[in-house]
Amino acid sequence: MNSTMESKIQTQPIKLSKEDFESDQMVKWCPGCGDHAILRSVEAVFPIVGEKLNLKKEDFVVVSGIGCSSRFPYYMNTYGIHGIHGRAAALATGIKITNPKLNVWMISGDGDSMAIGGNHFIHVARRNVDITYLMFNNRIYGLTKGQYSPTTFKGQKTKTSPQGVFEQPFNPGELVIGSRGKFFARVVDTNPKLMQKVFIEAAMYRGASIVEILANCVIFNNKIHSDITGRDTKADNQLILEAGKPMIFGKENNKGIVLDGTRLKVVTIGQDGITENDILVHDPTTEDAGIHMMLASMMTPEFPVALGVIRATPFQTMDDAVWNAVEHEKEVSPYKNVDDLLNSGNTWEID
Amino acid sequence: MAASERSGRNVYLGSYPITPATEILQEIAKHKQFQAIAMQMEDEIAGVVSSLGASFAGALAVTSTSGPGLSLKSEAIGLAVMTELPIVVINVQRGGPSTGLPTKSEQSDLMQALYGRNGEGPAVVMAANSSSDCFYSAYEASKVAMEHMVPVILLTDGSIANGSEVFKIPKVADLPEINPPIVEANDSNYAPYKRDAEKLSRAWALPGTPGLRHRLGGLEKEDITGNVSHDPLNHQKMSYLREEKVERVANYIPDLEIEGDEDGDVLVVSWGGTYGVMLTAIEELRAEGKKVSLAHFRYIKPMPKNTAEVFSKFKKIIVCEINLGQFVNVLRMTFPQFTYRQYNKIQGLPFMVNELKDQFNALINE
Repeated sequence: MNSTMESKIQTQPIKLSKEDFESDQMVKWCPGCGDHAILRSVEAVFPIVGEKLNLKKEDFVVVSGIGCSSRFPYYMNTYGIHGIHGRAAALATGIKITNPKLNVWMISGDGDSMAIGGNHFIHVARRNVDITYLMFNNRIYGLTKGQYSPTTFKGQKTKTSPQGVFEQPFNPGELVIGSRGKFFARVVDTNPKLMQKVFIEAAMYRGASIVEILANCVIFNNKIHSDITGRDTKADNQLILEAGKPMIFGKENNKGIVLDGTRLKVVTIGQDGITENDILVHDPTTEDAGIHMMLASMMTPEFPVALGVIRATPFQTMDDAVWNAVEHEKEVSPYKNVDDLLNSGNTWEID
Repeated sequence: MAASERSGRNVYLGSYPITPATEILQEIAKHKQFQAIAMQMEDEIAGVVSSLGASFAGALAVTSTSGPGLSLKSEAIGLAVMTELPIVVINVQRGGPSTGLPTKSEQSDLMQALYGRNGEGPAVVMAANSSSDCFYSAYEASKVAMEHMVPVILLTDGSIANGSEVFKIPKVADLPEINPPIVEANDSNYAPYKRDAEKLSRAWALPGTPGLRHRLGGLEKEDITGNVSHDPLNHQKMSYLREEKVERVANYIPDLEIEGDEDGDVLVVSWGGTYGVMLTAIEELRAEGKKVSLAHFRYIKPMPKNTAEVFSKFKKIIVCEINLGQFVNVLRMTFPQFTYRQYNKIQGLPFMVNELKDQFNALINE
């Protein structure tokens, strides 16, 4: 290849399409499963992310653990690796640290992330490795056919909790923030527009961007999120957060969130002298996690469930920290190669 | 790091502190100037799994541990077997089971290294002879892992890990070449599970390379295409291929060497970190005029191709190990045509020259 051709190729802007990422493999999720909608949203988002970050299609890597959601890499035409149960965060860490130019996406579920992979979940958040972590939360073990997971509600009857679950569930957002994670967002599988918007923001964020997707398991936990996603109830039960915008929601668009003492409270604009100016304005970038934690914790029926990007605070990524240290050591180290190192220290020559 | 320099692959060590293997993590952490990255992960599993991720991305992937940590890494080593990605697992053996004798030395993880995985999970298993041989063994383990696309478990032990000896410094340029089977961009012949005709290794296609997108994973894969496959005959074929790939490493390793005469009354067999004391015992006996020889193993799976031939030239064989008799049972299974005696010690202590000589003298005089 001559140099003119080479430069021509390099300067051509990369145009990617959804079709670039569609796989020829048969998708084996149940008809009606929420995962189909998530897959379509991710396929739609990759070309946009590729364009924004000037990536070629080979720069995307999709990593997963075990579970229904974790079949995902087989359904995307990218580099991919389907790992072992709970450990995808460690796989993703090794990939990203080794080659920071790759755009690494991790797919996991509530069992994979919150139970067997709980340890890796908190540490990948703490390290702030630059990956996009999609956690499909259907609050059940679907692939093993209906056992309760660490996000199943207390009291719910499942195959392994015939008297109802005795344990209280994890809230993934609380775990992310409690682990000093810097990015947390939540979406629902019934809102592809919001999914795509949030996935793009998550991919653009430099660090571990963890997105909880409330996903429906049509077979083993059908309609578990229906109070949040139902046509009649969603307006009153969803607070879609936007940076710089007041936290207003409701069918009449007249409900809002205020800070009452140290707690959040739902108020109605126009009642008790409340005006739009009293409503909290969302700031995802603030380092102080107080409001973010309270937003992540909001549950129905007292509160709406917060959707969108709840927290996105700038912080150094692990991959940057490591490679900055590599560059620094290359400059200051007395060892330019392994021979130098072997011949350092206590050595002597024999005739 | 020498293997990294010769192969062009950066070292990635994913590890977790554990006695007596922690020094490996501490040492690699000092050498970022060679683009060697040591990641202290949250547990043993994350250590090996992040290394496997690094291997997928094209690093010389290493994880270091001791016995209990190897137990925790079992499932992930199985993933390395299935994905046929290179990884070097260094296990500095200590007294077991469980927490056992963490600061004492033993050779009791051999069976775990050979068989400690679910399913048919063949991996190359080798053992370093001495403190200075740790350098060469780690180099060879890296070469075998990358050139054959296979997990390699390198066994050392507390004695040689904490020991030191005079080391003749090699020149990196004099070490054997390492040529990982990395695929060129847009190679139209590439298929994820297409194999090298001689080694049976698949090729290494690194993420980011144009034209080579593919998916790996723990589910069984179809031969050549790498698509997920539940086909019964394919599974049988792939199981044999993975085993045969490891066996063919025997074509690339040195023959078993004999210290002393190539035939005689007594052959003493040993492996790994006991080499120094075994050699001294044999040399002293031979100086006394006894017909005794030593065959010391560095490669255990696969074993050197001349193993049976070496064994056939002796009347009596005795296998000495710091365990209850793990290697001797592997030998009984692999070469049942020979009769083996065994001498075992499991006190957290190394062999002493005199106790070995007493054993061998008794066998000679039988």
